[in-house]
Amino acid sequence: MNRREFIGRTAGAVGGALLIGDSGEVWPKAKAPSDQINLGIVGVGSRGQQLMRTFLRVPGVRFAGLCDVYEPRFAAGRSITKENTPIYRDYQQLLAARDLDAVIVSTPLSLHSQHMVAVLESGRHLYGEKCLGLTVEDCYRIVDAVKRSGKHFQVGLQYHYAPWFSETLRHIQAGKIGRVTEIYAYWHRNNSWKRPVPAGADQKLERLINWRLYKEYSGGLVAELGSHHINFANEVFGSAPESVLGSGGIDFWKDGRETNDNVRVIYRYPQGTTLVFSAITTNQIDGAQVRVYGTNGTAVLTEADATLYYEPKRPQSAVSEGTVLEHGITTSASFRAELPYRGPGEPVPIPEDRKGNADFVACNSFIESLRKNQRPEADEQTALADGLAVALGNQAIDQGKRILFSEHMRSKGA
Amino acid sequence: MNKMREQSAGAGETKAAELFVHSGHAMGTLFTIYLYAHEQELAEVAFEAAFQEIERIEEALSNYRASSELSRINRLAARQEVTTDPEVFSLIVASLEFSRRSGGAFDATVGPLMRAWGFFNGEGRYPTEGELHHARENVGWEKVQLDVAARTVHFSAAGIELDLGAIGKGYAVDRVVQVLREAGAAAALVDAGSSTIYAMDPPPGKNGWTVRIPNPADRSQMVTTVTLQNVSLSTSGTTEKFFELEGRRYSHVMDPRRGRPVHGVLQTTLVAADATTSDALSNAIFVMGPEAGKKLLATVPDSWGLWILGEPGAQRLVEWNWQHTAGDATSEQYVAAPQKERLNEGT
Repeated sequence: MNRREFIGRTAGAVGGALLIGDSGEVWPKAKAPSDQINLGIVGVGSRGQQLMRTFLRVPGVRFAGLCDVYEPRFAAGRSITKENTPIYRDYQQLLAARDLDAVIVSTPLSLHSQHMVAVLESGRHLYGEKCLGLTVEDCYRIVDAVKRSGKHFQVGLQYHYAPWFSETLRHIQAGKIGRVTEIYAYWHRNNSWKRPVPAGADQKLERLINWRLYKEYSGGLVAELGSHHINFANEVFGSAPESVLGSGGIDFWKDGRETNDNVRVIYRYPQGTTLVFSAITTNQIDGAQVRVYGTNGTAVLTEADATLYYEPKRPQSAVSEGTVLEHGITTSASFRAELPYRGPGEPVPIPEDRKGNADFVACNSFIESLRKNQRPEADEQTALADGLAVALGNQAIDQGKRILFSEHMRSKGA
Repeated sequence: MNKMREQSAGAGETKAAELFVHSGHAMGTLFTIYLYAHEQELAEVAFEAAFQEIERIEEALSNYRASSELSRINRLAARQEVTTDPEVFSLIVASLEFSRRSGGAFDATVGPLMRAWGFFNGEGRYPTEGELHHARENVGWEKVQLDVAARTVHFSAAGIELDLGAIGKGYAVDRVVQVLREAGAAAALVDAGSSTIYAMDPPPGKNGWTVRIPNPADRSQMVTTVTLQNVSLSTSGTTEKFFELEGRRYSHVMDPRRGRPVHGVLQTTLVAADATTSDALSNAIFVMGPEAGKKLLATVPDSWGLWILGEPGAQRLVEWNWQHTAGDATSEQYVAAPQKERLNEGT
């Protein structure tokens, strides 16, 4: 079938019919090239679907299996692959398939350890959605499985790969904003964070679709949003935190949810530096942003770009002593208001060949790691530092006390 | 979000469905969703899901975001074959298919011509011969080459760029309709900048959503009113945007085939089964005019179209298969006489 015939054949499918859950095969099957990577996915929810679309932008990638426990996800997944991709209701059956090179796990957080360990034990490489695990024990269980398997693991912290994040990190490390002492990170929304459930759905389905709101499955706002910012702070400060304080509550959305609708966690790092992360669900003026404060300037990172701001210049040399001593100092009732800076900043330029979408760079990088047999950059150690900080941040909120990381982390080499 | 107190309870329902409205800027326009729900929370959750879907599509299709998938394709496709995902590939296929069916009147590569005529940021200007020649070399849907099996896109000229704006908003509307249906919303209307609308199930007790088509010369006057359900309507026109040259009035709608703006058409409106089609083809039939446009619409099932031709003050109206609402005074020989119906009088 040539292109023109194909276009003619799909003409009737243009528009609405093309868009919705057509499980029929629309695209002719590609011949499998020798370097084709066959992926499976466990968890075809909203994040899993976005990962599928993104992985399919990488040449030579195909989905060989979709696994979920919620039936409508299969049609949603097949509408993305435009193939009759095999479906599995049990992840063990997916892992029994022969033609999988790697598996994506994008299931609720509490299931990560079970699913990720099984993938690694089946001998597949793993792209594991963040966070690593719900508990400290879950995190270590997965890291141990990565070590045992010898397989590649990349954590789904896509901003680790965002070009504007890595360019900004380069500027920070080159000293462009001076010595960084604090990072304030916000993820402020003004919505309930709820997903629609079908009319007449029972509580079981509500908990399945809105798993982020229930403690059985989820680490809440710290896990789902804060983990990205915590990872960036770990990179800026060059280490994991050593302690955390937290507070939060269910104070506005009293709709039966179990995870907090507002949180703030304060992480202290070994060099006396601090990350403050705040997430609220009642006001969005600050949106999602990371503000990296240095002695000479500030880097502000959003989901789309990064900007540098510089502090007022400090005096370069001492003033003449004579002037001050001879004329004295005049007293005044006036004061200088410490107003926030409201001027423009300097956008962090992204070289043309490095521009790109965070998800795409992350997914492309994972596939390159497999093809070149190279360790992914956001590997299990990156994931562990991030995952532990999330788990302990939630403990700090729940217990209302300062948590020391040293009391929960294995000593190095253990 | 606004709540409008309207409508009565259906049989057996304890609480009447109320009309909720939510708007948000996206894709260079204002999206507004009207939907009936029994609870405010259900409406809010549906709105949130809908606007997340619009944001997802904008992140894939925006020409203004360096991070979008379309920007990635535009950066690379003249140098290499670029693999893309089936959804974006489908839209590019659809776009080329609309180009083929319209004989090039619809063309997603028209950007360089729009720039040459000063339509992107300015008020319009006549390009030099050199500018026009250069622009035309870098325009042409046939210079977009697809490999369907590998799902790759390649441009055969270095200056080609895809702009899916004239189909993307319609696609976003179709996707929102799907998301609303999955969220349990049935009676709703999705509006992308008033230029593309999808009317879902009608409001309770009504037989459709009322959509009014204004006179392009005086938008307070209505040319016609239609009642729609489970169908899409798109309007193309640039009455506010035009420029005059040597006594002729040119629209800001480009005819990619001739490399110059369209003259003599003020507005087109098209009703079709889905918004992707109505969005793309309302633009195509504007460029094609009624004679060729009617032939195209004859191949589009259940479509109806309306052209307003001429100059403001001396307009002529041409219809194709138009479904008149009772009392609608539209005719083939419409002249810009004030219509009876005016905006803000309510229905």
